[in-house]
Amino acid sequence: MSDAPRPSEADLHAVVDDQASAQQRAAVEAHLATDPADAARVAAWRSQRAALRAAFADLAAEPVPQRLTVAAVLQERRARPSLAWASIAAAVVLAFGVGGAGGWLLRGRVAASNGMRALAQEAMANHAVYAADRRRPTELGADQRDDLARWVSNRMNHPVAPPDLAAEGFQFMGGRLAATAHGPAGMFMYQDASGMRMTIFVQPTGDPRSSAPVTISGRSLDSCVWTEHGLNTAVVAPMPADKLRHLADRVRRALDG
Amino acid sequence: MLSRIEACLPSLRRYAIALLRNRDDADDLVHDCVVRALDKLHTRRDEADLRAWLFTIMHNVFVSQLRRKRARPSPEPLEERHEEAHVGGPAQDARLQWRDLMRALAQLSDEQRSVLLLVSVEDLSYAQAAAVLDVPIGTVMSRLSRARERLRQLTEGERPVLRRVT
Repeated sequence: MSDAPRPSEADLHAVVDDQASAQQRAAVEAHLATDPADAARVAAWRSQRAALRAAFADLAAEPVPQRLTVAAVLQERRARPSLAWASIAAAVVLAFGVGGAGGWLLRGRVAASNGMRALAQEAMANHAVYAADRRRPTELGADQRDDLARWVSNRMNHPVAPPDLAAEGFQFMGGRLAATAHGPAGMFMYQDASGMRMTIFVQPTGDPRSSAPVTISGRSLDSCVWTEHGLNTAVVAPMPADKLRHLADRVRRALDG
Repeated sequence: MLSRIEACLPSLRRYAIALLRNRDDADDLVHDCVVRALDKLHTRRDEADLRAWLFTIMHNVFVSQLRRKRARPSPEPLEERHEEAHVGGPAQDARLQWRDLMRALAQLSDEQRSVLLLVSVEDLSYAQAAAVLDVPIGTVMSRLSRARERLRQLTEGERPVLRRVT
């Protein structure tokens, strides 16, 4: 046995963690019998391991908070965006099919659903607050585009990324996760050369059908909103409705691409 | 499957608390992990290694949180939450040893601490720990070795290291 090769450092740990084969273990034990320094180290690791396990035993025995349970998370997901669409919404400002904003594929409803209208309202409310904020309009800036996309996607359980609208003259500024009555939504903010700010507001919908864009008028702003790829999207900017529609069309294409 | 996820929650939460040393942040981390796990559940074909899979998800959420600085480990060692939880439990000197151990643990790097806890406390194999942390096994072994040696230095002089009989 004395000619046996010295066990590796990894072998020593494997014995401590009970992950060694019988052969490894035998070799390590033989080595430790002749090497007091290594024997002391291994003994110290063993008691460390025992101490850590004992120290953390209580934590795993604590009851898990209710909101972390699978049942709670499932319920939270169900409660999220409206699976319960009100069939076809009625009185909406319908700007569909007007003004040569072609290219929209009409595969579903013509009018805005409740979810779309709600999102348009949230989008306008958020735009009014954040676009007006000169100091801190976004939580994550343009340099954190990927983190923002990941954050928003994770929280909404739906992959989404801010589109590149440089070709339309809009520079990406950043964005944030927004709270709505229907759960989390993503907000992406852009600015053109004149300093005008435009926001894109996205929220997943449980409805697989698409909906053509409609313009919803708020008190001081308009929002153009549509549904595609399981996502309600609203665009808000302080510009005339026809221009907003045109911009929304560009945004839709950029999101598609 | 769902009940097996549920069964992993206490140890996921324990690991999260040990990593972040702040219970609220840890609970948020576990929550995000469960959300993602349920979201990705359909991508799993079997139930093998569910635990390691959940630890992987949590580790990824943890890393992306670190990157966007949403939550980071507290610089303070983990503290005991309820004194009353320990009534009839460890005696005073054991509690002091517990505190010393937490203090030493807080001085390890995040990487060393992750490996040490996954292997020593959560009983992951070296291969599973490597998969969770997305590093080669050799890296797991060298981090483990450094973590244990550092911890040994830090607790030397207060020997013997606590060995609590449970």
